[in-house]
Amino acid sequence: MSRRPLSLQARSLFAAGIALAAFLGLTGFALDRAIYETLRSALAERLQSYVYGYLAASEVGRSRRWLPPEIGPDARFDQPDGGLYAVVIGPVEVDGVKAEQWRSPSALGATLPTSEKLAPGERRFSGPLEAGGIKLYVASLGVVWNGVKLTIHVAENAEFLDDQLDVFRRTLLVYLGGLGALLLLLLLATLRWSLRPLRNVATDLTRVERGERERLSNDYPLELSRLALSINQFIESERLHLSRYRNTLADLAHSLKTPLAVIRNQLDSGESGEELRWTVLEQVGRMDQIVAYQLSRAATSGHTTFAAPLPIEAHAEEIVGSLEKVYAERRILCEFDIDPRARFYGEQGDLLELLGNLIENAFKWAHSRVLLTARALPGRDPRRGGLELVIEDDGPGIPPDQVDHLLQRGARGDERVQGHGIGLAIVLDLIKAYRGSLEVSRSTVLGGAAFVLKFGVG
Amino acid sequence: MRVLLVEDEAPLRETLAARLKREGFAVDTAADGEEGLYLGREVPFDVAIIDLGLPKKSGMELIQDLRGVGQRFPILILTARTSWQDKVSGFKHGADDYLVKPFHVEELLARLNALVRRASGWTKPTLECGPIVLDTTAQTVKVNGTAADLTSYEYKVLEYLMLHAGELVSKADLTEHIYQQDFDRDSNVLEVFIGRLRRKLDPDNSLKPIETVRGRGYRFAIARTDSGAEKAESAPPAE
Repeated sequence: MSRRPLSLQARSLFAAGIALAAFLGLTGFALDRAIYETLRSALAERLQSYVYGYLAASEVGRSRRWLPPEIGPDARFDQPDGGLYAVVIGPVEVDGVKAEQWRSPSALGATLPTSEKLAPGERRFSGPLEAGGIKLYVASLGVVWNGVKLTIHVAENAEFLDDQLDVFRRTLLVYLGGLGALLLLLLLATLRWSLRPLRNVATDLTRVERGERERLSNDYPLELSRLALSINQFIESERLHLSRYRNTLADLAHSLKTPLAVIRNQLDSGESGEELRWTVLEQVGRMDQIVAYQLSRAATSGHTTFAAPLPIEAHAEEIVGSLEKVYAERRILCEFDIDPRARFYGEQGDLLELLGNLIENAFKWAHSRVLLTARALPGRDPRRGGLELVIEDDGPGIPPDQVDHLLQRGARGDERVQGHGIGLAIVLDLIKAYRGSLEVSRSTVLGGAAFVLKFGVG
Repeated sequence: MRVLLVEDEAPLRETLAARLKREGFAVDTAADGEEGLYLGREVPFDVAIIDLGLPKKSGMELIQDLRGVGQRFPILILTARTSWQDKVSGFKHGADDYLVKPFHVEELLARLNALVRRASGWTKPTLECGPIVLDTTAQTVKVNGTAADLTSYEYKVLEYLMLHAGELVSKADLTEHIYQQDFDRDSNVLEVFIGRLRRKLDPDNSLKPIETVRGRGYRFAIARTDSGAEKAESAPPAE
């Protein structure tokens, strides 16, 4: 068993969710990188300013050695393990003791990656560097200060920058997360709002099924109105179909009662022998015709709503091929004049029934020639062309006073015009079902009868 | 005329077979499509009547298979379905005519005769060979405009010979296509029929309509007056 496909809402949410996650994720990443770079360069600047701070507050003694200032440019330089460290490499003198290196009180005992000597004028910022279990950012400057060559390193524990970054990241996460949730909610609401007409269609259809409504309403959005229209047409044609079945069944039952009554009366009146035999034969023939006619009537469809366009020539070819076998002795020549654009919008069975009955009728009456003409006409529905079918023969034709009788005959199978079998009755029913028209006249080309059928013409 | 009748409805099959025999047909019956196919392959029929709704193998399939193995005898479909879609499909499968149930046996007989006639290249219901005219509709024979008084079997023999006028018809062909299966097939009986036919058609022995081809069979020697040029016109296409 295949799984049910995802609902439209789930699909939209899934797709939008992925897009949203990608967008927010990338945004978060970019902001994170940007703020890190900003913080890092601010740090570099600050550390650089401490370097100059140390230089500005210091002096060079008479011994040509650098004397460190009493207090550093930030209080943390003077607290043990204060997080800010300064190291000066070069000739220094602290409280009269000469040395080659000076460390700020905070840096005493700490392991710092600050042993390098830089050339005068060279400056460097690096980090985070790992040293002695802590991470550091280090700004370094090589300088000649009042004739003394020095390298000054100022370092800060990376914790300070990381803390700032953490705060920023938390804030970013809260805002982006909130934004994402808000957008998802908005999306969900939009989806529910835009899919509501679909749910309405489903609800309306259920009502139609239950018989609470006749048809779907017409006030659907543009995208659905065509669908609703088609469904309504379908419902309509099914309903017509059903009622035709009912009528056919009723007609069948009622029209069979007459011949049955005739037979029963004959039996009741004590009739026997040859006369009874003739009555039964006659009534059986009548019942047979009734059944045949009503059966064909029930089988015709008249569906145009979803019908594919059928080409005429191939179907006419099949019919004529069959008729030429049956009427081989008559040696009738059947010609076609068929516009290749001509199409019949309906069921194939119905087209075969129309062509079959009319062409067979023409074969029956023709002297030697039958002509089938099909033309494409501008249709009343702009998306579908109209169709004109003309079936002509060179037989005796139908007298004008009989045409009306032929066309106005009742729909019941036992009221038929002599000589035109139930075939014509079926044709009339089909024309009615397809809302076409039929005209019977005299053929100008062949001189016999001409049946002119029009479908889908305005 | 030898006819194959394939119909699964026993009462219809039996009454129809009995009626066809009364009309002078040699009838073989089958109750389903497979039996029908077996008979149709083995026996040289002149015509077949096939019901469409058959057990084991549908009528359409049977027709298609018969045409497939090269059998070309005309086939008439019996069907309860009246729609053109069904008719067209039957003809496409290789049928030559159809009849919708219920039908009048007279109509069936007329159509069978017409089919056989067409398959032998005759286009009109009267077979005309010089002064001898055989009317298949009325089942009468006239020689120079005078009715000849033939028995049913004599008529059947003459009809078969005239249908194949100009062709050699073996004694075996003649017995197979004229007689019932259970009929005495002694060829002497046939010779007696031919002898009587010759006397009735040609009392003064001037026309010599039936030729004996020694050791092989008979030939109707007078040429067709009705143009017989369209031999096999109605033979169905092999599909």
